[in-house]
Amino acid sequence: MFSQRTLRRLLAPLAALLLTSAAHADTYEIKLPPELSSSPRLCDYAPCSEVLPGATSFSERKGQPSYVEGYRDDAGQKTKVGYVMLSTDITDIPAYSGKPVVTLIGMDTAGKFTGVKILKHSEPILLLGIPESSLVKFNNQYLGQFVGDNIEIGKSRPEENLIGLDAITGATVTVIAQNQVMMTSGTEVAKQVGILKPVIRPQARFPISDAAPSWANLVADGSVQHLVVKPEDLGLKGDGRPYMDLWFGYLNQPTIGRALLGKDGYASLMARLKEGEHAIFIIRTAGMDSFKGSGFVRGGIYDRVQVRQDKDSFTFRDLDYVNLWGLAAAGAPAYDESAIFIIRGKGFSAAYPWKLVFLGNRIDKETAAKTFANFDREYWLADSYLEGGRPEVIKPDPTWLKVWKDKALQIGAFIVLLLGVAAAYANRDRLVRRSSHKNKWRVNAFKYTGWLLSIGFVGFQAMAQPSITQVLTWFHSLLFQWQWELFLSDPLIFIFWIFIIVTVFVWGRGLFCGWLCPFGSLSELLYKLGRACGLKRFQFHLPQALHDRLKGLKYAIFFGLLAVSFFSMGLAEKLAEIEPFKTTFLVGLLNRSWPYTLFAGGLLGLSIFTERPFCKYLCPLGAALAMPTTFRWFGLKRKDECTKCKACAKGCGSLAIDTKGNIDQRECMLCLDCMVLYYDDHACPPLAQERKRRDKAGQPLTPIDARGYFIPIHPAPARSATEEKHS
Amino acid sequence: MTLADRNELRQPSYGEARGAAWLAAELRDHLWPWGSGAQGGRTSLRLAGFGLAVAATIAWILTALGHLSAGAIIGWWFGWSVLEVFVRLDGKPYVKEGPWWGRLYRRASLMDMLCYVSFKNLLIGASLFLSLKAMGLLQL
Ligand code: SF4
Ligand code: SF4
Repeated sequence: MFSQRTLRRLLAPLAALLLTSAAHADTYEIKLPPELSSSPRLCDYAPCSEVLPGATSFSERKGQPSYVEGYRDDAGQKTKVGYVMLSTDITDIPAYSGKPVVTLIGMDTAGKFTGVKILKHSEPILLLGIPESSLVKFNNQYLGQFVGDNIEIGKSRPEENLIGLDAITGATVTVIAQNQVMMTSGTEVAKQVGILKPVIRPQARFPISDAAPSWANLVADGSVQHLVVKPEDLGLKGDGRPYMDLWFGYLNQPTIGRALLGKDGYASLMARLKEGEHAIFIIRTAGMDSFKGSGFVRGGIYDRVQVRQDKDSFTFRDLDYVNLWGLAAAGAPAYDESAIFIIRGKGFSAAYPWKLVFLGNRIDKETAAKTFANFDREYWLADSYLEGGRPEVIKPDPTWLKVWKDKALQIGAFIVLLLGVAAAYANRDRLVRRSSHKNKWRVNAFKYTGWLLSIGFVGFQAMAQPSITQVLTWFHSLLFQWQWELFLSDPLIFIFWIFIIVTVFVWGRGLFCGWLCPFGSLSELLYKLGRACGLKRFQFHLPQALHDRLKGLKYAIFFGLLAVSFFSMGLAEKLAEIEPFKTTFLVGLLNRSWPYTLFAGGLLGLSIFTERPFCKYLCPLGAALAMPTTFRWFGLKRKDECTKCKACAKGCGSLAIDTKGNIDQRECMLCLDCMVLYYDDHACPPLAQERKRRDKAGQPLTPIDARGYFIPIHPAPARSATEEKHS
Repeated sequence: MTLADRNELRQPSYGEARGAAWLAAELRDHLWPWGSGAQGGRTSLRLAGFGLAVAATIAWILTALGHLSAGAIIGWWFGWSVLEVFVRLDGKPYVKEGPWWGRLYRRASLMDMLCYVSFKNLLIGASLFLSLKAMGLLQL
């Protein structure tokens, strides 16, 4: 009866939470018309005029990657006012959910952003907790900014010409990805239409050589590169064949060009090229599709391959195509499709690295919507093929590395905290031996410091509260698409998880839950404060039998979430609001709608009267960590007498010690109270008994050994008469 | 000792075996859920277990041949895992206590077995799943 009532009480606010959440789901996972990504008339399916104010008509999709032009009607005269682009036509950068945020972007003819509109997103974090309006507000920061500027998330640094944008608290990964999407999309179009000029790079000079490398030599020194795309990468069914198996290389370099085309072939190709023009070859040795595609027949553009150098891209038109009549290099493979393409952009230089990009479309199984997916392979002539060797190239740090560098101090402090707590716990034997039942400050000093830092620094300041949603996301990423960059973008969470996984196997979940989880610490701290403030007489534990039944609830919640996540990650993320973490630390108790505040506040309020109610019965993360705790390597100690003695069990706030004196390691928070008792000869009944017996018998109190007993007194054997004589 | 009640302790099934023999016995213990001899467990459960194990194995083979989708194999594997918990509780009702390289076992409660089977099968399932995916044999 009681448990049912309790259950109902716990579930009611949850139901309310779910009802109110629907209001935030405007563009979350909505179904977009397939024509949006395929029709030439993009603006028939997207609100283009909203992102390019003043435009009354729009062109069809043009360019590679595609964009549309917007016009104003000046007394029957059409004047171009800017461009509109769909982010997924240009880039496939995924956000936190692993899926891209489909964004419509407007830019005027001067290259300034005029509007940004999210058409669809799959970010659970924006579904609940953080309102979608935050993303709109974030995007509005781009309005009026020039596409060629250096725009990043974080503080502005005028001395480095860097314009900083305010991130959305709690959704850093999402906005970092969104910034990349905005800048990549804007830059691609701005370059095509001439707003951004290509970088002019010094041209390569080639040394003279008589060498005639074979195909194998060319592959080994990187002069010929290999790009493979698997059908699964595009959401297609595999039959063991690659979707695309391409080899490519740079032909202007005389040694390489002659080896591949033969002397005459090379000379005739070079004779066709004007100064500043470059030739590459591509062959397809296997595959399910053509790398030339059919775009060049319709629009004169090869829309499946592209060369990219840094931020400049070079596309090929029908006039840039030359027949490849054969490969002269010994050992060259057989192929069934081939081409020589001429790069005509002035900015290209073979002295610097470049990439061959295969532009594919990923097809979503459920919606049949196509999203852009590209695959690339880097090419850089080896030192020996360049006069003076390769020039020095400073590659910009990847985004995740920038985040790590920006947060270096915070990361350092966090690692010190984790190692400090682990070191204190590793020395638990020393700490508990020096503590007593009445005075536990040696243990508590470390534990309480851990709590305070985890609440203040980890929880409120760094917002690094681990969550079950991360477990679900990782689980799915592991099975479907693992992206290191995504997880590395949140360094504290990344480090925390490594720590959690290691310590769960070594000691069990208790080190994280009992010492470092921000919400768990806050919850137990409130209990201790309640006790210190004279509320002890109102504090209670549930009866053991009821507790034993209710503790299973959290596992049911965890498995429920896991199961739901296979059908709908979005729904699982919504249900994961059973964790009050987002409300408490990420968004703030006072910044959310009342059902969330009530739920989190209620749990914290209840924590004053009973120890860690959320951890014991509801926390799915605690359950997920408790399960592998079954195999923790090093458990707490027990002695034979523990089977009959109930002293430890009485003092265990986690109700983790059963009637036989065994510890349920899945429930234990490693508070060490029972370990203090274990060595305390005034509190542990069998020890106290032995102490009294020895006192009475006038025997000395020997030290307590590792098994928790006084070292036995063995009377020294009497020396024999012979021994006496010899000494 | 991490257990107060020594009655909970169980003998390792591989006795005194060391080195390769010990590893082989451990491997068999993890991969073969049925007990042997007199402790073999109830016949009905054994038969149901054998039946579903064969079906789950066929499901993996069908997946490798490209006839089953990712969702379906996850479903099959989950179904088998649920039954394995009961098969093991019946025939091999113990789990390891302490480090995996140790030789201490304890009686398994339902929760112990659930944790053991879900964790072990997560590792086995994920390795098979990822290998098939890497070989391009899985339909996602
Ligand atoms: S049970 Fe949950 S809330 Fe409690 S300490 Fe563990 S992870 Fe934190
Ligand atoms: S008293 Fe002992 S068993 Fe209970 S939570 Fe603390 S360490 Fe764990």
